[in-house]
Amino acid sequence: MKKKVLSMVLCASMTAAMLAGCGSSSSNTTDTSDSSASGSADTAADSASNEAASPAASGETVTLRVWAAEEDQTLTNELVEKFKEANPDQSFDITIGVESEANAKDDILVDPEAAADVFAFASDQITDLVKAGVLQPVQDTDTVSSENAAGSVEAATVDGTLYAYPMSADNGYFLYYDSTVVTDPSSWDAILADCEAAGKKAGMVFASGWYNAGFFYGAGFTTALNEDGGTALDWNGTSPDGIAGVDVVQGMLDIANNSAFLPITDGDTANQIASGSLAAIVSGTWDSSAAQEAFGDGYAATKLPTFTCAGEQVQMGSVAGYKFVGVNANSEYVGWAMELALFLTNEESQAERFDQREIGPSNTNVSESAEVQENVALAALSAQSAYGFVQDGTVGSGFWDPTQTFGEIIAQGNPSGTDLQELLDNLVESAAQPIE
Amino acid sequence: MNKGKVKANPAVEFFQAIGRFFKEFGEAVSKGDAAVKASLLVTGAGYWRRKQIVKGILVTLLELGVILYTCFIGLPYMGKLGTLGTVERTMVYNPQTMKNEVNDYDNSLLILLFGIISLCFLIVAIVLWMANMRSVYRLQLRAEQGKHINSFKEDCSSMLNDKFHFTLLALPVLGVIIFNIMPLIVMICIAFTNYDTNHMPPNTLFTWTGLANFKSLFTTSLTSTFGYTFRKVLVWTLLWAVLATFTTYFGGIILALLINSKVTKGKKIWRTIFVASISVPQFVTLLLLRNFFANTGIANTFCANIGLTDFLRNIGLISTSYIPFLTDPTWAKITIVVINIWVGVPYLMLIATGVLINIPEELKESAKIDGANAFQIFRKITMPYMFFITGPYLVTQFTANINNFNVIYLLTQDVYTTTDQKLAASWGKEIDLLVTWLYRLTSEQYNYKMASVIGICVFVVCAVITLFAFNFLIKGDKEETFR
Repeated sequence: MKKKVLSMVLCASMTAAMLAGCGSSSSNTTDTSDSSASGSADTAADSASNEAASPAASGETVTLRVWAAEEDQTLTNELVEKFKEANPDQSFDITIGVESEANAKDDILVDPEAAADVFAFASDQITDLVKAGVLQPVQDTDTVSSENAAGSVEAATVDGTLYAYPMSADNGYFLYYDSTVVTDPSSWDAILADCEAAGKKAGMVFASGWYNAGFFYGAGFTTALNEDGGTALDWNGTSPDGIAGVDVVQGMLDIANNSAFLPITDGDTANQIASGSLAAIVSGTWDSSAAQEAFGDGYAATKLPTFTCAGEQVQMGSVAGYKFVGVNANSEYVGWAMELALFLTNEESQAERFDQREIGPSNTNVSESAEVQENVALAALSAQSAYGFVQDGTVGSGFWDPTQTFGEIIAQGNPSGTDLQELLDNLVESAAQPIE
Repeated sequence: MNKGKVKANPAVEFFQAIGRFFKEFGEAVSKGDAAVKASLLVTGAGYWRRKQIVKGILVTLLELGVILYTCFIGLPYMGKLGTLGTVERTMVYNPQTMKNEVNDYDNSLLILLFGIISLCFLIVAIVLWMANMRSVYRLQLRAEQGKHINSFKEDCSSMLNDKFHFTLLALPVLGVIIFNIMPLIVMICIAFTNYDTNHMPPNTLFTWTGLANFKSLFTTSLTSTFGYTFRKVLVWTLLWAVLATFTTYFGGIILALLINSKVTKGKKIWRTIFVASISVPQFVTLLLLRNFFANTGIANTFCANIGLTDFLRNIGLISTSYIPFLTDPTWAKITIVVINIWVGVPYLMLIATGVLINIPEELKESAKIDGANAFQIFRKITMPYMFFITGPYLVTQFTANINNFNVIYLLTQDVYTTTDQKLAASWGKEIDLLVTWLYRLTSEQYNYKMASVIGICVFVVCAVITLFAFNFLIKGDKEETFR
């Protein structure tokens, strides 16, 4: 292990050596910037108002690196070619690398200066990326916020500044079910009863703060980010809807203890669907083809079911998540990087992305198009979006492990029989731990 | 008593050498002639006086290089070492140039890195400067005594002949200093800073916090459970190291004995079969086994089909509908140890086979004639011999197991979820070793300061155990027994 840390330092020292090598040139530029820094803020505001039409082309070749998910490579290549065509006066050297949206943060934060200029990432990483100063604030805020769904813009905004370009709005979860088995997908009780009768199972990931928060959001609870980086949960009290947190946990426990329920490990949903033992599963659009194949003619999707909470039926909430394109503030050609990010997320590109990959667009025009409306999974997602909660920016990095543990305890049926209130109190306390 | 004296000697000698070094330096400064005294300022002066022109130029150039480096690169960094930087980075986008304009900010990590390196350079340079004074003075003495003074050519050729060990060792020593010692010093320094997610260069600065991190590792408060987690992880780390080392050790010996036994047929085939498992890369084996033993993996399906799962549930060993091979603290610990036996035994079998073949037959023969049975021979002859030969291996294996990252991490990552809320609050798990915990703190939480503190703790644990083991378990006095 020490090796790992050492290699990190070595990498750091090597880049440091490189920086030192280029030291003289960079200090020159900083000298000039110091004097103009205050003035340029004004000019930035001026030019933002007169619309960044087509940026002036210069003689030098603009070198950009783009990170996109493996499945998105072909599409991104095509879009980048189109981008070059749209800017014929400027010569580009754009390379595209593979980086999954879920891991983008981890690889960027290792060395932000060596990361790609334009990259795709999942919306839950935005707080950490902003904190590390990696994201370049969006200049053309009017275009981005007018073309995309309000929720996606809200999720891309941290402390009043828009930091990312919404690319897709399908990073949420809903219910897939086999309509030949499950006749009434409106409540967990009904689903579990149907599954029991058919010898099938209903599955959901409990051991993840992304999924299990849905129960609490549904009951009116919230999450909020503290100043010190800790996460403030109100789950151990009573929600504004008058539902006690303990009753929510009891409701989750009742589901977990049902013999027709299968707790699934995060990241294992596709395998479980393919195994054929499930008749219903809570998952997202990424599993649509797997579900289509497994459920066959019975393939159906809808909003999440209700769950029983102190005798009442409560609609499950969910996390409304998005995929963004971000621009690295350390980029040498940050202006062109922003142009490219804007292009990769514009209406045309999002329509293309839906055509090729069935990815739910965040662009309002595209999502209102007939093709998108007809897509079963996306229709379910938009039905669920009414109960969605924008989790991004409301949870800190200390939220995930405690909620995962909490979910695992519930999924195992609370084996040690801990008092539910105590479980919640511990959860709230450990999530609130300041990141110092 | 005698032994203590022998042991103390190297340390005493070391300090005596340092004392002599300073004494000679003082002598050189006080008793040297004008040229030697001039060497205090221009290091080559003393050599030029004795007609060693090239050497003098080289030494002076080196001096010049050190001074230039220190003034232009070293000092700015060393000056900020006390605060680790004060100017935060600010960026302003300039739409005209389409570029970000950045102020002249401080990067705490670079300051720490270059500050420490420059400091080390400076210390080495001072020592060299003092050594230079000494050798210049020695030259003066030689000249006064009328002895021969080497020309540059003769100096060079002596580096290839009687001083060849200097030439040979120069590169490795330099490599060790640059690639091992310097980064190590920087890593240790990080333990005394607040380098974590909230203080990540280049965007934000970090600074010295003294012993605060060590304090939080050893205390458990309402908001911080590092102390609790550290205790739990340390206990399991030590338990694991003992279990992993001794199970594979004895497993390997027993396997080797079985294969070497006179009644076993096809020895070579058996040996090949067991060694074959080595030929598969360890991480492939481990990742495959992780899938086999997953909650919905092959092993569980098999156990459910033959009714083992139901049986275990009926007798109350499990409460879930599957066997939690890698998901329940106790089950996971047992599974990991068993899998480690499977992975590690072949190596030990090979070593043990080699040692067993070397046990003198006459020892066993005479024991047999004296009426000892097989177990007595094993206990009184085979095992002591094995222990003697493989003792050092056992100790290194033990420390290696303390840091056995692969087995634990590859078997449990993404699979194991702790159900202990206190552990989860400090990102620990019941099955974590100190190293895997440290790894997740750095790679997932960017909590470099705590990782550094834990790294130091791992070092201390390993160092203490190794010292104890080598001093008390493997004393040299057993050698006689086997001669």
